[in-house]
Amino acid sequence: MKTRILGFVALAAVIGAAVNGLFVVPADLNQGDAQRIMYVHVASAWIAYASFGVTALAGLGYLIRRDLRLDALALAGAEVGVMFTAFAIWGGMMWGRPVWGVYWQWEDPRLTTTALLLALYIGYLLLRRLTDDPARRAARAAVVGLIAAVDIPIVHFSVLWWRGLHQGPTIGDPSKILNPSAPLQFVLALLAMLAAFTLVWAYLLIRRYQLARLEWQLEEDARRGLVQTARLALPGAAAAEEPAR
Amino acid sequence: MTLARPVLPPLPPRGRRWGLLIGVAIVVAVIAYLAFSSVGNALVYYLTPTELLARGPAEVGKTERLGGLVKVGTISGEAPELTFVLTDGTTEISVHAATAPTRSFREGIGAVVEGELGADGVFEASQVIVKHDENYVAPSQGGLPTRAFDPGS
Repeated sequence: MKTRILGFVALAAVIGAAVNGLFVVPADLNQGDAQRIMYVHVASAWIAYASFGVTALAGLGYLIRRDLRLDALALAGAEVGVMFTAFAIWGGMMWGRPVWGVYWQWEDPRLTTTALLLALYIGYLLLRRLTDDPARRAARAAVVGLIAAVDIPIVHFSVLWWRGLHQGPTIGDPSKILNPSAPLQFVLALLAMLAAFTLVWAYLLIRRYQLARLEWQLEEDARRGLVQTARLALPGAAAAEEPAR
Repeated sequence: MTLARPVLPPLPPRGRRWGLLIGVAIVVAVIAYLAFSSVGNALVYYLTPTELLARGPAEVGKTERLGGLVKVGTISGEAPELTFVLTDGTTEISVHAATAPTRSFREGIGAVVEGELGADGVFEASQVIVKHDENYVAPSQGGLPTRAFDPGS
């Protein structure tokens, strides 16, 4: 019930931040309305970083504590992160076409390292399906989740380290946090969208975590069912009922 | 000794496991490709005018990306027949573009052009990409953005 309330609050916050970004705040002088995509594009990218950070930290926690609940959290972070990464890429393409003139440039470091980030975590999710042993799955995933997280700072600093098409940080650079290269109303609109996306993120993480626990329960039941089948096969158990199909 | 629920198979069938392995192999291949292509090319996403000319006459006719600032006062012609000068502050190269850039194209902005350097020293661009920087500006009170979204360009 509490989670459901969080869901509605998150929905209302996203609508509010979107109305603000689309109709209240003026568009950038040079880019026009296309610049409004920045609010969702940047917020999704930051949330994607945070999601994969959760996956890495929860994975590390699993390796130390061997608690499967941490593995469920790592899975939730990775799935939600893949969604937000895909959304950031899609939004960036929609923004790039009217302003740059192209949807995509393979050789741009920011674009390429972000595509790599998406591929890494899709790989993480595929890897999780390779084994049905929960402990082994959790340990393998934790290691891969930690290695993949190396790409997060590479994505973020790619615009400073290499020459490319993507512009540099407006406020995401340590020297610019207090002195952003944008009017205050643009910064506030971005922070409002970031707050709204954070609520959506929390809601999705909780729901995916709950789902992971339910899936886990189902696996446990299936394993117990298997044990009972084995017992049925023993001599003397033939009188038992047929297992339900 | 009754069973309440149906017995689920403990492991996916072999075929599905092979499918997953192939999926993982594809993802690893994509990651390797991305890693190598980005290490190989991303460092030189574009050449500056100084770098391009320093490579000498061997560059004539080779497809390259050239990046720089559009020198103020050098844009002439109507899209899609534009000429302008790209500069990095020390070296300038004249560019002839046969395609229209987006409407965010203007004097003083960063641009990346793809094409080849001609023997006459003019860069023939088949594509003009407009770089926008990290600075945002609100229009003056009550004003409208000067360049709205133009899907046609």
